[in-house]
Amino acid sequence: MTKGEYPLAESVTRWPFQSGSVLLTIIACVLALAGCATWQAPTEIDYSEIRARAITATVQKVTLSAAVLSTRDSQRIFGANINETGVQPVWIEVKNQTEQTLWLLQAGTDPDYFSPLEVAWSFHTAFAGGTNARIDEYFDARGFKNPIAPGATQTGIIFTNPHHKTRLLNVDLLGQGKLIPFTLFLPVPDDVPETGVLNVLQRIAITETVEYQEEDRFRAALEQMPCCATDAEQTSIGDPLNVIMVGDFADIASAFVRRGYRQAALEFDYTQHVFGREPDIVARKSGQGGVPANWMRMWVAPLRYRGQSVFVVQVGRPVGGRFTDNESTELILHPNVDEVRNLLIQDLLYSGGLGKLGFVTGVGAASPTQPRNSLEKALYYTDGLRAVMFMVTRPVALSDVQILEWDPVLKDLEKAVLGAE
Amino acid sequence: MDKPIHHPYLQCSGGMQTVTHLISVYYSVQRLVCFTFFAAMFFFVFVGCTSVSQPPESVPLNYKKRVNTRSDGVVRVSTSVLSADESLAVYGVPLAKKGIQPVWVEVENRDKIAYWLLSPGMDPNFFPASEAADAFTSPDKANVRGELEQRFAELAFRNPIPAGATVAGFVLTNLDEGAKLVQVDLIASGEFRSFAILADIPGFRADYEAREVFTRDIYAAEDFIDYTDDNAFRTALESLPCCVTNKSGTNDGDPLNLVIVGGLDDAFPALIRRGWRPTEQTWSGSVIKMTTSALSGERYPYAPISPLYLYERPQDLALQKARDNVHQRNHMRLWLSPMRYHGEPVWVGQISRDIGTRLTIHSPYLTTHKIDPDVDEARTALTEDMAYSQGLAKIGMVKGVGAAPRSAPRQNLTTDPYFTDGARSVLIFDSRPKSLTDIEFLPWETREKGFIERTIRQ
Repeated sequence: MTKGEYPLAESVTRWPFQSGSVLLTIIACVLALAGCATWQAPTEIDYSEIRARAITATVQKVTLSAAVLSTRDSQRIFGANINETGVQPVWIEVKNQTEQTLWLLQAGTDPDYFSPLEVAWSFHTAFAGGTNARIDEYFDARGFKNPIAPGATQTGIIFTNPHHKTRLLNVDLLGQGKLIPFTLFLPVPDDVPETGVLNVLQRIAITETVEYQEEDRFRAALEQMPCCATDAEQTSIGDPLNVIMVGDFADIASAFVRRGYRQAALEFDYTQHVFGREPDIVARKSGQGGVPANWMRMWVAPLRYRGQSVFVVQVGRPVGGRFTDNESTELILHPNVDEVRNLLIQDLLYSGGLGKLGFVTGVGAASPTQPRNSLEKALYYTDGLRAVMFMVTRPVALSDVQILEWDPVLKDLEKAVLGAE
Repeated sequence: MDKPIHHPYLQCSGGMQTVTHLISVYYSVQRLVCFTFFAAMFFFVFVGCTSVSQPPESVPLNYKKRVNTRSDGVVRVSTSVLSADESLAVYGVPLAKKGIQPVWVEVENRDKIAYWLLSPGMDPNFFPASEAADAFTSPDKANVRGELEQRFAELAFRNPIPAGATVAGFVLTNLDEGAKLVQVDLIASGEFRSFAILADIPGFRADYEAREVFTRDIYAAEDFIDYTDDNAFRTALESLPCCVTNKSGTNDGDPLNLVIVGGLDDAFPALIRRGWRPTEQTWSGSVIKMTTSALSGERYPYAPISPLYLYERPQDLALQKARDNVHQRNHMRLWLSPMRYHGEPVWVGQISRDIGTRLTIHSPYLTTHKIDPDVDEARTALTEDMAYSQGLAKIGMVKGVGAAPRSAPRQNLTTDPYFTDGARSVLIFDSRPKSLTDIEFLPWETREKGFIERTIRQ
């Protein structure tokens, strides 16, 4: 993927009024076209193709199937190209074989999801009240409807912001005193099939790992991991590996999704190599208008802790952050890599998926006055620590998060704050 | 406060730290003034050629004089929100012009464990110090960037807050006007403490500054009815008017589809954590800004909300959650009611989802928001949003709005059509963290023979 194809930017503006002149042009066009508003409800909808490619999982007597709709699907099902308006429709079927009523929490699937009538409204035309009403009714009927009664199967579409290549689908079904969580990895049909998520799952399967049971030995092993990435030839040192994540990949991925991260790799992410390869997956959190706020590059590590996968992660953000225009500015690592690491921890605390937190050495300290070189002429400084986050299946209350007393690292952090080192 | 000030930190040479250990507030003020002076000098000399302005000499650093403090006996939190002039004076650059607002926070930790301040709790879209510094430099000016960044880093609040220590610094949030709900979430191993503070910001106006709902007694003590019986409370909620009205009370507007139980310590922290922010009062300046924004499609986070009426007064508080631009936001209006539920404040309100802007002759401003006619969707969206806030304890549904079927929609005061099942959501908050599995459904309309069953049967 090249810079010009930066995928977050396209979800920015669904509203066509960009300037006064555009507004006038649109009004003129609308007046011209209003007499022939041509939306027609599809006569027959066949979900069999979507159902056939849907990904399915069963948890606690609930079966969830889901698939991302392609442009062709949305044209076929809605009679309009919804995907073109910066919306990614996701077809969902929930089969509830529990004995209680369940609610699908759309805010967990996408904190900024669109309502069916909001999507419908973007297809309204002026002076076409009858057609507009039919669009509304039709779109609304396709939307996913809560609740899901015991023994019932509920099917519908939720309207989300686009994810690319693979959709990390977080579905939380809430019952009385009960949460049934799902994380599915759905291919995005209009995109070129990818490496990304599927690569991670395959990578986990094929990686030869050393199993650790004791916390101290595991901690020592984390400290021995490489400090940094390298370039492809392994001749130059790259960005620091400042985060370790431990847990099931689905739990980790869904925690990121609940905090608004989307999978999105840029060309320059692939210059960083660890264990002799490019990142297994890259995700970003976007600011308002799709400006890149940070990045998270992840590699499956050749070790496991008490049966769980371990990932080494690089988290960084570009110089300029949300204040740059991503079309015109080259992304360069911001030197203060500890800040973005610490803020990632804070963000994930609110995901309800972070169970335990610790810090280990291993990156090697570099002071602001003597920053260390990375690739692409980037410089950075760091306290040399990597954050270790143990991710669990949601939900975790904020009062239940454990902070590991891994001395002397934690004490060093405190001393740094007190200015007493 | 009256100690001598001959402290090594106060000599200004390298004394630009904002983190203190058992140093009084007085020291902090002195140091900050000292620092600011040097910072201003520094900037004048080294970065005067960039767009950085010299702080106006006349601006007194008054923010420490209006500090709001709260304590739970173990941890004490003090905050103050900086005005545009104050933030220019402290940082040397016009942060407000970039939509950035520094919040000064001081935490005194008398516990035996270290705490961490969580900035996303104060504003999910807050600015890391280095990113805010980036707003005033260009990537090719590495020297300027380095200096600014160092300065911003020194002013920033630094974690952790060690046992027995006092730590102070700034968190950079999105600009609020008039007043700000400052949410301080502190986490330690197996511990969580949360403080909400309503802070004034000089130089701005806002809906609830005018209404003073948190500070002024809207009702006399004898007017309050405290409900401790769930059925009686439910009946009272069902008896509320269906809808808001116009000023004279002659026409019905949007449906009152929301009841929030809780106050500054539980309901509002939950809203803030999920990105809900107060709106600007509707006055000419903000209307001009909004109509400009409506034409350009840009995000204007403080699009004003027009007044609607209940209890013979306009909303006490208006909040909104902006999405990509001004057309896409959910907004709510709340009125403090004369009811209490187990002693907790009860707010009655209206929530809708804006899906665009349209022209209207029913508003003096000629533009209004097009609302999603399925108003129940906005009510559900808020309920779900709050489920992730770690503060929602109970969900209930009551009747009282009156059903309006899709085939026969009602209209609000700007003639926007809406339809509804006629229920209002009741969201009861708790200050102790609640995960998703801790949320309880009240056995009202949501349970046996109630709303859910009817919906399923339909």
